[in-house]
Amino acid sequence: MNISYNWLRELANTSLAPRELAERLTMLGLAVEGVHEAGDDYVLDIDLTSNRPDCLSHLGVAREVAALENLRVRLPESKPKPVAQLAEEFTSVKILDADLCPRYAARVVRGVKIAPSPDWLVKRLEAIGQRAINNVADITNYVLHEMGQPLHAFDLAKLTEQRIVVRRALAGEKLTTLDGVERELDTQMLVIADAARAVALAGVMGGEDSEISEATEDVLIESAYFNPDSVRRTARILGMRTEASNRFERGTDYANVLRAQERCVALVCELAGGVATENAIDVYPRPLKQPIVSLRPERVEALTGLRVPTAEIERILTGLGFAECDSVSTSEEAWSFRDGIPEEMPVNLHSQMSFVAPTWRVDIEIEEDLVEEVARHTGYNKIATELPASGIAGEYQPSELKKRSMRQAVLACGFDEAVNFSFIDAAHDGMFELLPAYAEESKREDNFVSLSNSIIEGATRMRPTLLVGLLESVRHNFNHGTRDVRLFETGRIFASAPTGGELPLERESLALVATGGATEENLAGAPREINFYDLKGALESAAAAMNLLPLKFDEASVRHLREGQTAAISLSDGKQIGYIGRLAEAVAADYKFKQAVYVAEVDLTDLLEATQATVLYTPLSRFPIVTRDVSLLVARRVTLANLLQAVRDEAVEHCREAKLVGTYEGANLPEGKRSVTLRLEYRADDRTLRDEEVDQMHNQIVNTLEEKFDAQLRV
Amino acid sequence: MPEGQTVDHKQTVEAARKAFEQEFGRFARFRGSNNLDGLTLVEAEAAQRELVDARTRHTGKKSALASVKKLIGRVAAEDRADFGQQVQQLETEIVASLEEAEATLKEFISVARTERERIDVTLPGTRPRRGHLHPITLLRQRIEDIFVSLGYAIEDDREIETDYYNFDALNIPEGHPARASQDTFYTTEGFALRSQTSTVQIHAMERRTAPLRMIAPGRVFRRDTPDATHNPMFFQVEGLCVDRGITMAHLKGTLSEFVHRLFGPEIKTRFRPSYFPFTEPSAEMDYSCFKCGGKGCRTCKGSGWIELGGCGMVHPNVLRAVSIDPEIFSGFAFGFGLDRMAALMYKLDDIRLLFENDVRFLEQFN
Repeated sequence: MNISYNWLRELANTSLAPRELAERLTMLGLAVEGVHEAGDDYVLDIDLTSNRPDCLSHLGVAREVAALENLRVRLPESKPKPVAQLAEEFTSVKILDADLCPRYAARVVRGVKIAPSPDWLVKRLEAIGQRAINNVADITNYVLHEMGQPLHAFDLAKLTEQRIVVRRALAGEKLTTLDGVERELDTQMLVIADAARAVALAGVMGGEDSEISEATEDVLIESAYFNPDSVRRTARILGMRTEASNRFERGTDYANVLRAQERCVALVCELAGGVATENAIDVYPRPLKQPIVSLRPERVEALTGLRVPTAEIERILTGLGFAECDSVSTSEEAWSFRDGIPEEMPVNLHSQMSFVAPTWRVDIEIEEDLVEEVARHTGYNKIATELPASGIAGEYQPSELKKRSMRQAVLACGFDEAVNFSFIDAAHDGMFELLPAYAEESKREDNFVSLSNSIIEGATRMRPTLLVGLLESVRHNFNHGTRDVRLFETGRIFASAPTGGELPLERESLALVATGGATEENLAGAPREINFYDLKGALESAAAAMNLLPLKFDEASVRHLREGQTAAISLSDGKQIGYIGRLAEAVAADYKFKQAVYVAEVDLTDLLEATQATVLYTPLSRFPIVTRDVSLLVARRVTLANLLQAVRDEAVEHCREAKLVGTYEGANLPEGKRSVTLRLEYRADDRTLRDEEVDQMHNQIVNTLEEKFDAQLRV
Repeated sequence: MPEGQTVDHKQTVEAARKAFEQEFGRFARFRGSNNLDGLTLVEAEAAQRELVDARTRHTGKKSALASVKKLIGRVAAEDRADFGQQVQQLETEIVASLEEAEATLKEFISVARTERERIDVTLPGTRPRRGHLHPITLLRQRIEDIFVSLGYAIEDDREIETDYYNFDALNIPEGHPARASQDTFYTTEGFALRSQTSTVQIHAMERRTAPLRMIAPGRVFRRDTPDATHNPMFFQVEGLCVDRGITMAHLKGTLSEFVHRLFGPEIKTRFRPSYFPFTEPSAEMDYSCFKCGGKGCRTCKGSGWIELGGCGMVHPNVLRAVSIDPEIFSGFAFGFGLDRMAALMYKLDDIRLLFENDVRFLEQFN
């Protein structure tokens, strides 16, 4: 909001220079974003918080300045004006909905001459960024910015039967507002109507039909108080935001209705000529009241640490227009808030003060609100800066520490951390197999969590998998010329609850994606392409870093992964937690990927909850290990896991370990076969094994493997 | 024994010497001479091998020297000492020649090999490519470390919430402007994507009750169209300290300490009144610009101050909502955005970069 420094000084004669004043206002909570020179004036751009609509005018800011500098606010003075006849002779006001319109005042000025405003008025309005229209319209705007009360001027002749009826709009009722737009209204919207039709959208904008024009002779000046919620609703639904609605929807000063109207009428008579009615028709069926708020002075220190003497508390609050309960009668402010004073006033007790907030303050309800007022005007900068005594030890969530280790392990494998939006395009529905934890959910049709009001076109799904985002990131990198991409992400994934009306399921997921070269381009070593085992290794490192027992990988068929290059991942206890593999051709084609892309996703919630590996020392053997290697020619479909399991099943007493040395496939081997070399380790706990003993055990195992897998021993 | 035989023996010694010198001639350049220009490592290594043979031939069992030595016993007794001396001298000469040549070659080969094996130490080191943490994670971890050291626990909770946790419990009643649905994402079932991490305050107070200190870093969602300074999803850190006797002085002290640890002890802080439904009194905290030190620059838009975020004393309605008596306990809460802080720290001019996951971008953070 723009405030003119000169205009402000007419209301509160500050001794502060514009920039100094800006600094002080900022420290009072009226954040001045900028100070701009405008001719012989300065304009302060104030960013007000939503609880202070009272400061949406020069008068409002002047009150803060007055309290700051111990000044008195001088209300603007108007020249004496000609008056004649009662308003009732020209018009009438009827409020049909007092909830939405607690107060409505109408006053008439007859015989005005609509013309351009005088220079000083145009200049004032232009300084604060307002456009001049004509004298009467400009005056209502002027008084709005001066006193904070939105006003509206009707051409009295254009009102059917010259009557004002404040009512809700009728079903299907239409109104063309001043901006020339025809608006369809609903029955909850409040309108100002005449005997026949709606003529203004209450608190938002006037109607075109009753607008002031050069032909206007008699004007009806409206000054009212509208229900904030009602105005907010109307403005929101119609997508309108006006100077008037901006104030009404936050709450205006209902005690200011007549005063602002008087000021407006006086200026109209002065600048546009005309004779005002002696009175206003002021319909105010249920007078509004301000709450009484008590304050224990010691609460100021308890909440802020500031020691403020009672007398100073009184000075600050009364300076801001608060009335202390046992001194209400002595309050003499010219623009008194008497209207809002409740009839029953409590007497102040010894240790407790009670205050009535001024009618322009909509934000004062409880003791803490008063504490803030006192602290604001004492100065937040006077509050000490100290650390609280601590009897509590800080702690990371155990899961956070595991996640940190996991991230480091994945980083060491060359993966960069990605962060994607939590909402994804619905176009990916059904393309990916969800994690086992969501397997049940994914069978239901309504398994996805969807947004009813997304902001990015198409992005209506809360992601049930992290892969959609990561593959989008891969595509982004490809499009920008980066072909070596390794990314990982952790984050929530969502599925709707099995029973309707319950909060959606949230789990944490870890996903990895890898594609392109496996080595840095500028480093030594022959470049090679990333493969399945690079990704698997990263995942294994992650599990090891979280101190888990080794993950298990079993051949599997998964919707989004390529047959034959896919594994299901399980915890050591057999619980399935995710999938790894090469992206299926159909999915890759959908993303227009031309190179192999490997992806993995595992249930991080499960990983975090999985049993930790416990470390127990195993005594070091005094006897040597004897190793024997065996190379077997087997069918390609025989897996390493098959072979190792067969060795374990044989349960040869002193065979301690069987592990892979290497595999080989090549032109010199028969089609469909490969060679697998295993290393078997033999050791006894109580003696050194003799060669003949080892040979015997080893032959037993080799024979079994030969038989079981139709394997040929290679020499 | 005939006289003439002694002479013969002497001639034998001379013959042996001649034979050696004749063959050794091609190795002579390695004797005491430093003029090895043009010698290649391959030639030197060949010569070294030949020298080994030469040594065997000239000093071995079948060598002329060995034959001569055998004659010593057969020489007349009176000549024996003299002859023995001659043989001795021959042997010394031969061995010295060989050793000298061997030493020269060894030295040459050693130098040449060192040179041949010289490497370019300025070539890049061999190391696996290391990935990079996302800048938001880097910042979040630093902030977590600071607050844990100040006695805070790290908390987190749901991202999809009921209106109760997202609004009501935070003293944002129905009809409050902050509740307008144009700012909050809703699921089709009517749940809200949390629009601030303050929701975690409520869960944490319900779980732990007072006294407590916690921070909750996490994702929040607001219906902003993405542009250079807005994203519909961003990260916040919420903080809460509830105990007996907590005042705004403690709020100022805690946030000042935090800013000093994050940006340095020279950073100044400023608290000014503000408004939030869940705190009263409320404040906005600014810290002096870490780029210009408060003089005013592009980072701080010329003001010298950068806004950290909102804070204040926990509203009594919020405490009551979690059954904490505001007459016994008081507390402060604060919240700030990580994305904007990261943008300022790293001079990002477009925060959409944060969620594009361009490897060229991510690689810049460590």
